[in-house]
Amino acid sequence: MSKLLLIDDEEGIRKVFSISLKSDGYDVATAASGQQGIDLFQKEFFPIVLTDIKMPGMDGIEVLRRIKEINPEVEVIVITGHGDMESAIQSLHLGASDFITKPVSDQLLSIALERAEERLKTKKTLNNYANDLWNMVKEKTEEIKRRYEFEDKLVQRSIDGIVATDKEENIIIFNPAAEEMFGYTVNEAKSAMNAGNFYPEGISQKISDVFAGKDRNASDIFVGDEAFVSAKSGEAVPVRFSCAMLYEGDKPIGSVGFFQDLRKIKRLEKELIKSERLAAIGQTVAGLAHGVKNILNGLKGGLYIVNTALKKGAADWAAENKIDYSNMFTAPLQARSLKRIIDINTERERQQKKLKTGWEMVERNIHKVSDLVLDLLTYSKEREPEYEIYNPNIIADEVCDLMESKAKEYDIDLIRDIDREMGEIYLDPKGIHSCLLNLVSNAIDACVFDLDTQKQWYVKVRTRRENKSGVEFEVIDNGCGMGEETQSKLFAEFFSTKGTRGTGLGLLVTQKIVNEHGGTMDVVSRLGKGTTFTIRLQGKKV
Amino acid sequence: MAKKVLIVDDDVDVRTFSSSVVEDSGYKPEIAKDGEEGMGKVKEEKPALIILDILMPKESGIKMYRALKTDSQFSDIPVIVLSGIAKRTFLRSQKALDEFGDQPVPEPEAYLEKPVEPEELGAMIKKLLS
Repeated sequence: MSKLLLIDDEEGIRKVFSISLKSDGYDVATAASGQQGIDLFQKEFFPIVLTDIKMPGMDGIEVLRRIKEINPEVEVIVITGHGDMESAIQSLHLGASDFITKPVSDQLLSIALERAEERLKTKKTLNNYANDLWNMVKEKTEEIKRRYEFEDKLVQRSIDGIVATDKEENIIIFNPAAEEMFGYTVNEAKSAMNAGNFYPEGISQKISDVFAGKDRNASDIFVGDEAFVSAKSGEAVPVRFSCAMLYEGDKPIGSVGFFQDLRKIKRLEKELIKSERLAAIGQTVAGLAHGVKNILNGLKGGLYIVNTALKKGAADWAAENKIDYSNMFTAPLQARSLKRIIDINTERERQQKKLKTGWEMVERNIHKVSDLVLDLLTYSKEREPEYEIYNPNIIADEVCDLMESKAKEYDIDLIRDIDREMGEIYLDPKGIHSCLLNLVSNAIDACVFDLDTQKQWYVKVRTRRENKSGVEFEVIDNGCGMGEETQSKLFAEFFSTKGTRGTGLGLLVTQKIVNEHGGTMDVVSRLGKGTTFTIRLQGKKV
Repeated sequence: MAKKVLIVDDDVDVRTFSSSVVEDSGYKPEIAKDGEEGMGKVKEEKPALIILDILMPKESGIKMYRALKTDSQFSDIPVIVLSGIAKRTFLRSQKALDEFGDQPVPEPEAYLEKPVEPEELGAMIKKLLS
């Protein structure tokens, strides 16, 4: 029920209006003078005030002014005398909502009140709208603030170093991870440095070109390259670097670089390699046990055979000494004695042969043990390669000289195909020597194992310039070759096709050395046709 | 005539060594380089005893052992397994093969791990052939 304040000095009017307004559903309060009305209004809020203009004391105009002062939202309807347009206009100027003229008809009053109610309602709706709008603005502002803080936190707490620049390449963001990585404080970075101090070489030039509009085709994003950046301490920090240009429309306004610190990863990588090597050593020991058992068996067997032959020899010697030779040529030939001498000699020959067999067994197995131990040492030891400027041809020639006699023994041609024009490169001569020796020795074995005796076997050692600064070694044979299965197991530990002759470590050792040089090793092989091993080394930087 | 002992091993040193021990024990050694050749020699020479390696190229000792023990003609020939692999490992592989659906085979008459003492091998040969 709307409340309404009716101010009129005529009691009759107050009474009549009260009754009719109450019956229209208003909660009506009345005041007999302007002052009384204002007093009442100050105590209590009325959305609609109906006031007479002509009153003794404070008149309706004054009442209107006061009420509007107190609350401009109030609907004030003034009641004017008949034809008093001047008051009506004045009151409208002062903010009255409406006026009705005396004598007041119920109908006119109702219309005026309805219109007032309508306006109040509209005002209220408008107010609500305004409030909603305000709340929305507040909410959105807070959201933006939250998002900004969130993004700021993202940047600040990121474990990747983040560096952002404006288009003059001044630093505008330099997060704590970047501070830690580069060793500069954010203030140092922002006040005295620019992108060129942090971005990897080359990238900052490209970015400058983009800003200068020189290089419109340059990729706007440089992703995931591993690079080194230099810290304040002078340390070269390994990072994975990505960078993006920032645009407003199509105008570049800045750049942002992300630096992932790879120091820890590099360290982990090293540890991983180490633990892999330990695991490999574990496997090695298991494989080794089997190999060593066989060798021990061979050694013991050799010893046994030598010992029995020696024992037998000693016994025969003793027996021989008992034969009386004194009357051998004077007395009639004693057939028995002679036969005995012949028997002893035959037996001695047999024992001699046994001695040789046994001793060869011992020798062979001692070789096996020393090969195994040496390979194992090279494979498991963290040998630091000793790099020097060296002519790869010297190594190839040395290896060929070494293997020449072995090749001849099996009627294999050892062909040298050496690029004499080649200069020196940076490598570990001892390591590469053992690689090449291993490959050539394998190639000779491949010919020895080949069953096709129609072939004239050869092993070719070839050297060539690789690119500008590298070298390519090739060891080519036309021996027995390898099937796919064998090739797939080529670099497995203790895998050997040579039965008990191989240690199964030779190629592993070779690969390890080639890897240390940052080189590659490839193999092409066809069963029954031959094998080519290729080692490519990039001349390591001095 | 002296009884024949078949030695099956891919390692020439083991063959020489075992042959010596067999000879010195008073028997005649026969040799084969792998399981395939071994089975041929078994049929040809009818040995009284077989000394068998396990890890060999071509046909392994495991296959030859099972072929021997599942053939009524040869299952009575005693076998000494002489191998670098442990007895436990060998028996486990046999058990696995038994369960796999193959005919179950008995354990070998003797199992010697390399390296073996000549006296031990000689004594075992004599024991199984007496």
